[in-house]
Amino acid sequence: MESFITFAIAALTAPLFPGIILKVKAFLAGKKGPPLFIKYFTVLKLLRKGSVYSTSTSFIFKLGPVVSFATALICLLFFPFADRAPIFSFHGDIIVIFYIMGIGRFFTVIAALDTGSPFEGMGAAREVFFSTLAEVTIFTTLILFYRLTGSLSFSEYFIGDNQICLLNASGALLLFVIVALFMVLLTENSRVPVDDPATHLELTMIHEVMILDHSGPDLALIELASFYKLFFYSAFITQIIYPFTHTSSAINGLIFYGILFGIYVSIGITESIMARCKMNLIPQFILTSFALVFFAAILTMGVLQ
Amino acid sequence: MINITESILVITLLSVLLSLGSTRLMALVQIMALQGIMVSLTPLFLRSHGSLGSGAIIFFQIMILIKGLLIPGLLYMAVKRVAIKREIEPFIGYHASILAGLAILIFSIFITNNLRLSLPEGHDMVLITAITTMAAGFFLMMARSKAITQIIGYLMLENGIYLIGTALTKHSHTLYVVEFGVLLDLLVGVMIMGIILHNIHNAFDDVDTTSPRRLKD
Amino acid sequence: MDTFLLSLIVLLAGGLFALLAFRQFNLMKAGYIALSIAGSIIGLSAIRAPLQQGITSTFSTTWLHIFSLSFSLDSLSAFFLIPIFTICPLATLYSFHYMDNTNKKSRVAANFFFLTLLTISMALVATADNIISFILVWEVMSLSSFFLVMHEYHKKDTRKAGYIYFIFTHVGAMFIFAAFSLAYSYTESFDFVSFATMPDNIKIIVFFLALVGFGSKAGIFPLHIWLPHAHPAAPSNVSAVMSGVMIKMGIYGIIRLYARLEATDLVYGEVILTLGIVSGILGVVYALGKHDLKKLLAYHSVENIGIILIGTGIGMIGIATDNMVMASFGFAGGLLHVLNHSIFKSLLFLGAGAVLQKTKIRHIDKLGGLIKSMPTTGKTFLIGSVSISGLPPFNGFVSEFLIYYGAFHGLSLGGSSFIFTIFAILSLAIIGGLAAACFSKVIGVVFLGEPRTKKAMNAPDPEFTMTLPMIILATACIVIGIFPQFFIMTAFQGLQSISTLHAVTTNEIITVADNLAFAARLLLVAFFLSLLLRKIFYLKKTVTSGPTWGCGFTQPSVKMQYTGTSYAMSIIDFFRPFVDIRTTYSGINRIFPGRTTYKTQVDDIAEKALMERIVSPILYLLAKLRWIQHGHIQLYIGYIIATIIVLLLFI
Repeated sequence: MESFITFAIAALTAPLFPGIILKVKAFLAGKKGPPLFIKYFTVLKLLRKGSVYSTSTSFIFKLGPVVSFATALICLLFFPFADRAPIFSFHGDIIVIFYIMGIGRFFTVIAALDTGSPFEGMGAAREVFFSTLAEVTIFTTLILFYRLTGSLSFSEYFIGDNQICLLNASGALLLFVIVALFMVLLTENSRVPVDDPATHLELTMIHEVMILDHSGPDLALIELASFYKLFFYSAFITQIIYPFTHTSSAINGLIFYGILFGIYVSIGITESIMARCKMNLIPQFILTSFALVFFAAILTMGVLQ
Repeated sequence: MINITESILVITLLSVLLSLGSTRLMALVQIMALQGIMVSLTPLFLRSHGSLGSGAIIFFQIMILIKGLLIPGLLYMAVKRVAIKREIEPFIGYHASILAGLAILIFSIFITNNLRLSLPEGHDMVLITAITTMAAGFFLMMARSKAITQIIGYLMLENGIYLIGTALTKHSHTLYVVEFGVLLDLLVGVMIMGIILHNIHNAFDDVDTTSPRRLKD
Repeated sequence: MDTFLLSLIVLLAGGLFALLAFRQFNLMKAGYIALSIAGSIIGLSAIRAPLQQGITSTFSTTWLHIFSLSFSLDSLSAFFLIPIFTICPLATLYSFHYMDNTNKKSRVAANFFFLTLLTISMALVATADNIISFILVWEVMSLSSFFLVMHEYHKKDTRKAGYIYFIFTHVGAMFIFAAFSLAYSYTESFDFVSFATMPDNIKIIVFFLALVGFGSKAGIFPLHIWLPHAHPAAPSNVSAVMSGVMIKMGIYGIIRLYARLEATDLVYGEVILTLGIVSGILGVVYALGKHDLKKLLAYHSVENIGIILIGTGIGMIGIATDNMVMASFGFAGGLLHVLNHSIFKSLLFLGAGAVLQKTKIRHIDKLGGLIKSMPTTGKTFLIGSVSISGLPPFNGFVSEFLIYYGAFHGLSLGGSSFIFTIFAILSLAIIGGLAAACFSKVIGVVFLGEPRTKKAMNAPDPEFTMTLPMIILATACIVIGIFPQFFIMTAFQGLQSISTLHAVTTNEIITVADNLAFAARLLLVAFFLSLLLRKIFYLKKTVTSGPTWGCGFTQPSVKMQYTGTSYAMSIIDFFRPFVDIRTTYSGINRIFPGRTTYKTQVDDIAEKALMERIVSPILYLLAKLRWIQHGHIQLYIGYIIATIIVLLLFI
């Protein structure tokens, strides 16, 4: 039961955090910024509206948002929040989860291609390229985690006997993982320096350009899916940073959301102090994240075990 | 808790990877400063090195001073004064260099395992770092075209040699005398290079190592 | 065994019927298809016993009083017979309307006959139990498929493709002959069973010699060159069978030989794994670079053979290091991928055939928007694409998951095995991502958006005999994805023939299979709930339609759509050292530029290297021997006599 409650809290609070990023960015730019609950307002507004569909599109265009929403939700179902076991879990679920994310991406991409717009095609091409590279980083992380714990599921990683945590032994290696996962988070969730969610130039965008033609509740589903995805990655990093071993789950939960808040703030700071990469430097950016984790994985061969 | 020696070594390895992937000269010089400090800190934290006398403390301080401040500072000045173009201009691309760095790491782990030296506990990691640093130094010298990157590669090589010394010795700082001599040589080398680079630059407007090829008939 | 032989006889009767009755075109096709389907169903019922109860049945007869031809049907053979007996009848059913050229009745009949011959010979390859019978049926398989490739022999490209295929398949066969003769010289027995008695170093030589032969049939990377030539040249039902089933015979050969050798060295696994990684990654990269629909699919066969080999290699490393979880899941994943690939790849080839028949366009950048006019083809092709990309809840994911599972359990190994396992996992991840990229390209460019040319407009769905096989195959993709337990168990049962492998307990397999089934169903439930949610949100909402937003541009044309070439270019560019990209650009040189052209072409480095390093030197050498060929028949007779005399002197 508690697992369901933590899941519900996560699903409900996920849209809050992107608002925090906006606040941080506005603060650093010396502006007042939008209200904290801006994303809730956006979603509600979109849900009230109708839609305009392009005459070029087919049923696939309508499937895109649905699939990406469903897959993003499933990822949260398998994820342990703080010290609570996830709703579902089995040995090997991480592979399934990252592939489920893959199918969400596949349908987003073909929904974008369905419009026949050159911009959306361009965004789709970039999305598949960069996410393939990011997937390599993620699987290297999984390799490292298997080396450390011998397990293949989120609940075994974070609430099993052999916890993965920065503060345990071999925590030095996890420092790499955190940095690399943060880079993957920026890539997969279309943040600066890989992508700019706020730009007005379609040519420079990756993810945002793919959803140009979606409107109304469809767009709301896409937005929600992207909040969940961002929440998922941030929670992943949070779990690595701190072991939630306190006896009271309320305190664990508080610490969890505290660290999560910190991660979103750091995303905001990153976005404020960094410029967007040139498009041809992005593969290098992702490759660096891969190099970091691979490096850590190789070190497990040596002495650090 | 986090093991300090291992963290230092891991940061050293990381600096090696970063130096292979960095596109800007300034960033490269900064990474070298970090690497220098980390390398000279390593012996301080190795468990088997026991207690340190005052002489040793002074020795290691000088080490940090030279490796972490003096040489990078000189390099920094050279880059600034000569106004070398900021980009590194590789022969081997950055992607390939990063992957090559990882390959070097794998090989050095294999080499360390194959050597089967009777190292004190915790020292094989030092040896791995040392071999990687050395090989990456060679790689940097091969793969980049500027004169200043040659020097940086050489510096990295020296760091690696220093670490090998650290890994193989068990006792006091006096065993570092040879490395210290090498380091002084290197320091002089960097200074001379700075001056020469300045003059070459004045004469040719260019400090690319591919240019001297034109001297060949 | 008797039922199995009966099924082959019924199949053969179908082929002969086609040859005899070709004047009555429709009767011939219907009779042929009915007999093929009947034969295949009998065949499927024959393999149930060996697969489920592990009973091995044998059949042998003497030939020319010297040799004995012996065939045995064990669980591994039975597993490989599943795709043969399911895909081939579907391909014949498809050909009812696909092969509808009444002007060339005899040619169609010949095509049917050779297809039957191919089916029978493949079934016999999978059961052959000694050197003589194996080589005999292997040759029949190669030759019959050669005639199938040459179906449209009036085209120059087809003749060239057939020629390349012929050379590859026979050079490969030569290596297999060499391997088997070496084995015979040590064991002095034609039986495969005696292979295990050879010394270890000879085993390695035999295995790698045969690997060249089996690899050229399977399409392992440097030996894959015939695939992208032969598949586009052959009719689509034939390419479905060749790509879906025939190339798997190469895989069968590798696994069977490995099992018979009872080898446990690490080198087998490491080499197979490396070949798998190379074929997998480069196959998909080249597939991204190709824009002929069938050529692209052919390169995807190379990729999937790579995945199968990765699984097999993981299995072999597992056996060598005595890590049985790794070994069983690696092999099982590889085997299941054989079945899965035969399903979705033939589905995709049949879909490509439908597109080709209705639009007459091969180049994907000239197609577009077909899902509106060809809904059935489009939807089944979509299912095939998602399956081949290895995404849940479809079948491709099930087998890839098993391979991942095996590989992850190999990470606890030390030394070089650890490195190999890491690379196996990483390359699977890369292959998965790139395959998704490639098939989003195909779906997006061919079936979505707006038609780019007149011909691509209003192409109708094909007739029901063509859509029915596609629907059946697409359903199979979903069924295996959602109910994987039975199929995973079947794959494990197929492994019983590998004596060095001690499979994990049934409980562990069932747990994994149940988890996979659960995840797939959960995904479906979530999907339908989200669909329902969307429906609720759209209650009483105004929904209008308009043109795609052109970002302010008011004169969009279909030519402005993103092409497949541009879509793939940045990815291919990333792999540049391994891919040869040629760009021709006329440039813009006047103030008011005229027509400009920009063209890129992706060349296969293996093909180029083969031409430069092997073919050209050989041609140069042979040109020097030209004088032997002078055209006098009398002298040729002289050559023959001289050869015979010389041979008689030496023997």
